[in-house]
Amino acid sequence: MFRLLRTATFKITLIYVVVFSGAVAALGLFIYQQTFGASARQTDQIINSEIETLAGVFAAEGPGTLRRIVRERAAWRDDGIYMLIGAPSGAVLAGNLTALPAEALTAGQGYFNFTYERPLIDAAGRESGIDIRQGRGKIRRFRAAPDAETFFLVFVARDISNFERLRDRTRRQIVQLGLATILLGLLIGLAFSQSIMLQVDAVNKTARAIRAGDLSRRIPLTGAGDELENLALNLNGMLDQIERLMNGMREVSDNIAHDLRSPLTRVRNRLTDALKADPAEKDAALRATLEDAERMIGTFNALLSIARIESGEGAGAMEAVDVVAIAEELAELYEPAAQEAGFGLALKAHPAPPVRGSRALISQAIANLLDNALKYAAGGDRIEILVGRTPKNAVRLSVADNGPGVPANDREHIFKRFVRLESSRTTTGSGLGLSLVSAVARAHGAVLAVSDGLQKGDRRGLCVSLTFPAFERR
Amino acid sequence: MRILVIEDDTEAAAFISKGLREAGHVVDHAIDGEAGLKMAGACDYDAYVVDRMLPKLDGVSVLSRRRAEGDETPALFLSALGEVDDRVAGLKAGGDDYLVKPYAFSELLARVEALGRRRAPAQVTTRYQVGDLEIDVITRTVRRAGRKIDLQPREFRLLEYLMRHAGQVVTRTMLLENVWEYHFDPQTNVIDVHISRLRSKIDKDFDRPLLKTVRGAGYTIEDAA
Repeated sequence: MFRLLRTATFKITLIYVVVFSGAVAALGLFIYQQTFGASARQTDQIINSEIETLAGVFAAEGPGTLRRIVRERAAWRDDGIYMLIGAPSGAVLAGNLTALPAEALTAGQGYFNFTYERPLIDAAGRESGIDIRQGRGKIRRFRAAPDAETFFLVFVARDISNFERLRDRTRRQIVQLGLATILLGLLIGLAFSQSIMLQVDAVNKTARAIRAGDLSRRIPLTGAGDELENLALNLNGMLDQIERLMNGMREVSDNIAHDLRSPLTRVRNRLTDALKADPAEKDAALRATLEDAERMIGTFNALLSIARIESGEGAGAMEAVDVVAIAEELAELYEPAAQEAGFGLALKAHPAPPVRGSRALISQAIANLLDNALKYAAGGDRIEILVGRTPKNAVRLSVADNGPGVPANDREHIFKRFVRLESSRTTTGSGLGLSLVSAVARAHGAVLAVSDGLQKGDRRGLCVSLTFPAFERR
Repeated sequence: MRILVIEDDTEAAAFISKGLREAGHVVDHAIDGEAGLKMAGACDYDAYVVDRMLPKLDGVSVLSRRRAEGDETPALFLSALGEVDDRVAGLKAGGDDYLVKPYAFSELLARVEALGRRRAPAQVTTRYQVGDLEIDVITRTVRRAGRKIDLQPREFRLLEYLMRHAGQVVTRTMLLENVWEYHFDPQTNVIDVHISRLRSKIDKDFDRPLLKTVRGAGYTIEDAA
């Protein structure tokens, strides 16, 4: 619960609650003033005009008429309260109150509020109790002449009980409304904080599990499609990438263990034997060991290159490169070697747009494909490098031969590390050439495909192609 | 040549020093970056061989400090970091060449000797001559015994590189890096075939072969009298 109060969402809600309650209070005050302020002023005006009217009557027609009119008005069953009192005798000459309210003694000339008692009349017309009511009024002295000894006190008031009751009720309602707003705001804030905290907790829980070593954990998705889910999606994507890299690392170390352990064992055994052997045999053993060491270094370097390419490191800066130009350079480099191995190497390049890539990596991929063709297309006599633009503006680069090809069910395996098909066990090689091509393809977002190559008699040949996505300027 | 080897791995340093001494060079060895910096300042060397990762002061810093003091001695970086970016960082710091561990000693020797040669008087040479073979870099002509030989542009660059390092061993990797500008090792004998084509053009019709294969190392062009 206390955690909930510390959440950022709750703090924000709190600010909103304060601002919103302030607005509600201001609105309430405004409505209150508008409604009751005007009403109270109106009451005072009525009282004043009544007194002025009575003063006019007194001046024009004298105390007799005044007394009659006060009596008439007092008889009206409305909110009006009237009293005419003779002074200094204090006799009540007319009016609907039996005595002046106590508050009149201290009030002076201005308006004053007072309470008075009125009998409650039931339906049958009998008195059933006393109603304590509120009134507001004013007293004025009427003198016939400025120095007259006797004068009249005129008391005019209005009953404001209903008005006051309404005002009290409204005031209470505004306060209640304000409290309800604050309470509701706090509750909504807590609910919000709770919901967001639960989602953030899910992220934290996943992060802790992953830190504890469970890389397969993912943040559960709420399906809400909101920004929090978007964040979860992105984090999950990041976790996928991390897991992929970790698996890649594990695979690399497994592969190193697999491919380096056997030659290392061989080297150790050979050296152990050589210790007991005669000098000529020692020399032979050393030479063989040196060869093994060279091969292991080659394997090791190839593995590291693949790992680096796959982690996106060492690719150098990706820039606009011309695949046709790269293919031309490689064709030129390999042409003599191909010729010597009995192959005709041809470059069939059509103009193609530039692709985003690394010259070094693409060169190496082509070199590996050509190395492979030279090594494994036994019995073939043609190798072709083809470059062209696809209908979707992508650039396809293929290396095709007319050797024995690869059976369809072996094709998906050939890009895996250390895979060397049974038929090629006898040739030398690390079995990493195509894995590197595959890593280069991934680094470029290129699609790698294997298909039949150039036909020659009943040989289907092999064609490996890389389709680079259309170049997008960034 | 007098060579300073800055390498913290004593076994590797002993191996390099022994090999370089056998090739007729004078070798000093520094065990860490600070010692290397001191020794480089105290003595005039013809070449530095610097490991990139050193205790106390790393190889790149050692070299950039020497360069800041106006020391132009050519330097070869040794590194376990092999990718193009690392290579570029090393060369930017003032290195002249870059060799990735593990390497064959013949490769190291060939590269160090090529560096030492670079230091020779920096007059701009446009003509090279080995025996009766001469090339002119400006006119791009090759003559042997006065007879003009036609070469493809790449063959010319290959020959030019060999001629510039006449008398030195040039490895296949050096050729691939300097003539073709690739930094990977092909699995097949691509360079050898280019060499044999070149050889058929410049040596075939003459009594004395100039372009020679050095077993287990590379090639050299020289007029061995």
